[in-house]
Amino acid sequence: MLRDITLGQYFPGNTVVHRLDPRTKILLVVLYIAALFTANSWASYGVVVVFLAAAMAISKIKLRVMLKGMKPLIFVIVLTAGLNLFYTRGEVLAQWWIFTVTREGIRSAVFMAGRIILLVMGTFMLTYTTSPIMLTYGLELLLSPLKKLKVPVHELAMMMSMALRLIPTLIEETDKIMSAQKARGAQFDTGNLLEKARAMLPILIPLFLSSFRRADELATAMEARCYHGGEGRTRLRVLRFELRDFAALGLGLSVLAAVIVIKRFSL
Amino acid sequence: MNEPILKTENLCHVYSAGTPFELTAVKDVNIEIYKGEILGVIGHTGSGKSTLIQHLNALIKPTSGAVLLDGRDINASKDSVRQARSRVGLVFQYPEYQLFEETVYKDIAFGPKNMKLSEAEIDERVRISAQFVGVEEELLDRSPFELSGGQKRRVAIAGVIAMMPEVLVLDEPMAGLDPGGRESIMENILTYHKKTGAAIVIVTHSMEEAARHAGRMVVLNHGTVAMDGTPEEIFSRGEELRSMGLATPVMTDLSERLAALGVKLPRTVYTVEQMTRALLELERGCRDAS
Repeated sequence: MLRDITLGQYFPGNTVVHRLDPRTKILLVVLYIAALFTANSWASYGVVVVFLAAAMAISKIKLRVMLKGMKPLIFVIVLTAGLNLFYTRGEVLAQWWIFTVTREGIRSAVFMAGRIILLVMGTFMLTYTTSPIMLTYGLELLLSPLKKLKVPVHELAMMMSMALRLIPTLIEETDKIMSAQKARGAQFDTGNLLEKARAMLPILIPLFLSSFRRADELATAMEARCYHGGEGRTRLRVLRFELRDFAALGLGLSVLAAVIVIKRFSL
Repeated sequence: MNEPILKTENLCHVYSAGTPFELTAVKDVNIEIYKGEILGVIGHTGSGKSTLIQHLNALIKPTSGAVLLDGRDINASKDSVRQARSRVGLVFQYPEYQLFEETVYKDIAFGPKNMKLSEAEIDERVRISAQFVGVEEELLDRSPFELSGGQKRRVAIAGVIAMMPEVLVLDEPMAGLDPGGRESIMENILTYHKKTGAAIVIVTHSMEEAARHAGRMVVLNHGTVAMDGTPEEIFSRGEELRSMGLATPVMTDLSERLAALGVKLPRTVYTVEQMTRALLELERGCRDAS
């Protein structure tokens, strides 16, 4: 069933990580990614892993949950590791048909796969501990300097939060329309590709219509409550950097610094 | 009474079993639907009405228990599912949001076409079902999206009637219509019932509507059958109904208040006509006594 899909993977909680300012968390992820892409040795990877593990432990996000979310990416990870394994030149360890495994190949395969896994886990940490509303608010504030360049930052953030809000509604609606057409004998899983595509029309057309209707109603409702864009708009909850945010950012910066130092002096 | 055409046996349905969001929507439901009857299914929001009716034509498979059509399990094979879909017609809430074809004609023809009927038969069925719901011939070539809300609803119901189901299940068929529209759609459904002898199941939370037309009623509460019987039997238990969050018909309330004042009506009353008759009877009785 469609409604079983988990979306907007926010896991509510009340840990320090959850309470951090969303801007802090976004910046931390940026620092984390920078550190991850600078890292090129066991020691520097170790620093990144310790940082991530600490964040996971504090926020009580279980490793099992993270690995579950990683499932769709297994193919990409295996492919990247495979390419690196077989296409890196160096000291030959084993050879079979057109495949050559080198010492450098193994090393770069492990590092590349590790880099992808750590990258995904790091960004998961952000979405798992930050509600979509806070996330878009944080993004809006961080990107607000771009307003000087006439980028409609507020509008983009508003669109993003509305899109997130409407995903579950849309899924529910699709479910309902599918049931109704099935009740009239529609079949979605038989015939060739063209027939299958045509069988989607009785779902897509009502879905489109209701989406437009919903958008129209939403726009009217917003205007009725005097929405006129971001100009002069205030918030119920105003974000303010707290001591813990500075501490967290300091920690993130020191992780990046540590990785750079390790690289520079090839420890 | 004759054999039930459709029947559920210890029907249970659990959503998202094994997750923190586990929810038992329907539990141990045994209901029977007989040929040619009008059954009202009543329950407040979240009582499992919608889940229950989606089992009746195999849109949802029971977690345990079975749905029997003419004594055979409808989930037995692909073929039995297809049969159930055409013999048990299901009209969802706000069915006008499922219209999709270019013309009214094509939309009504969608069901019969899926049943792989001949062109001639499809044509006949489209015209007959349009007539049943009071959609005029000249509307058939119009786009369904140009019609008014009430007309759209009629077209959508015609789309299910065109399959000529032996059991027609309607989920809140009158929701969101003005009183005139409610009345005439109900009449259309009754016409279909009279002309074809199909069993009608009307799901509603309006006691008034159920009271007027249903010969038998099933009251659902927290996913189980709380009551099953004639309207008289059910409305005589007004206190219980109210404790389930259901409103009793106005006339039942009135007769209860009269009873509290010491005026005893001769029998259970739930429609205006019955109330008139009961009061007239009472008056005659008083006059005879004096």
